[in-house]
Amino acid sequence: MTDPRWVGRSYETAPYQVTQQSIRDYMTAVGDLREDGELIAPPTYAMVYGFDAYWQLWTDQEVALDVAHLVHGEQRFTFQRPVRPGDQIRTTGRLIAISNRGDMELVTFELSARDAEDRPVSDGTALFIIRKP
Amino acid sequence: MKTMSTLDFERISTGQALPSLTKHVTVDQIRQYAEASGDRNPIHLDETFARSAGLPGVIAHGMLTMAFANQMLTDWLGDRSLLKRLQGRFAGMVVPGDAVTCSGSVASKDDETRRVMINLVVTNQRGERVLNKGVAEAEFPPQRSNTHAA
Repeated sequence: MTDPRWVGRSYETAPYQVTQQSIRDYMTAVGDLREDGELIAPPTYAMVYGFDAYWQLWTDQEVALDVAHLVHGEQRFTFQRPVRPGDQIRTTGRLIAISNRGDMELVTFELSARDAEDRPVSDGTALFIIRKP
Repeated sequence: MKTMSTLDFERISTGQALPSLTKHVTVDQIRQYAEASGDRNPIHLDETFARSAGLPGVIAHGMLTMAFANQMLTDWLGDRSLLKRLQGRFAGMVVPGDAVTCSGSVASKDDETRRVMINLVVTNQRGERVLNKGVAEAEFPPQRSNTHAA
C-alpha cells in the first residue's frame, strides 16, 4: 500500500519543445496520418509533452508506487487549444488521491499543461490501478 | 496522406453514428508507440517481465487505444482543433493480434454553444469492451455571417 501522506506531491516537466518530427513520430506510431494542411498534433499527443510528469511519479523512490503491477484505468482530457510545432509546453502533475477498492489500489494523478506565455493548453486526469500481487 | 475538410455543424444530428475505425494492434506498433510517447514500461515491451507481473504477455498502452478513439473523432470532425474533451475507462487489456474497433454516436448537440457531445466505445474482435464510458466533446466555430440568406 502506497503511503497516503504523499497525496499532494507534485512534479513539473522541463519545457517540452514541440517539433514537426515529434508530432509526425507520434502520428506514425498511432497510425493517424491525415494532414490538415497546417500540422496540428492529435489531441492525445498531450501524453507525449506531459509524459515526463508521469515518469517522475512512477520513478519517485519515496512514493514507491508498485509500477510492475500498475495499469492505466481511466483517462480524461480537456483541450484548451491546439498544439503546433514551435510550442513550448510545461506540464505539472499532482498526486491527488490514493485509495483502495477490494484488492486494488487506485492512484489519481491530475495534470495541467501550459505554454510559454503561461496560457492553458490542456488538463488531464489519470487513474492508475495497482493490482496487489 | 489523406486530406480532410471540416464537418458541417448543421448536418450533425443527435443519435447519428460516427464512421467506425478498426485498428490491428501489433508488437511493432506497441514498440513504436513506446518510442514516440516515451512510455517504455516493460509490461508493454518485455514478454517475460509482463508474465512475471501476472499479465498474459505484453499489453498495449491504454493511451494507444485512446489515440485510436481520438482518430475516429477527428477523422469525423475533419479538424483536430475542434476536439475539446476526451475521456474513457480502460475496461480490458489489448494484446498484439487484437483488432479493436472504435465506434461512437452523437449524444447531444447544442445550437447555442455549437458544442456536440459524443458517446464512444472501443471493442475487440470478440466484442468485449476495451474502452468504455467514453465521452468526447467538440466545439464548432461561430457561424460566418456571410452564410445568411439574402
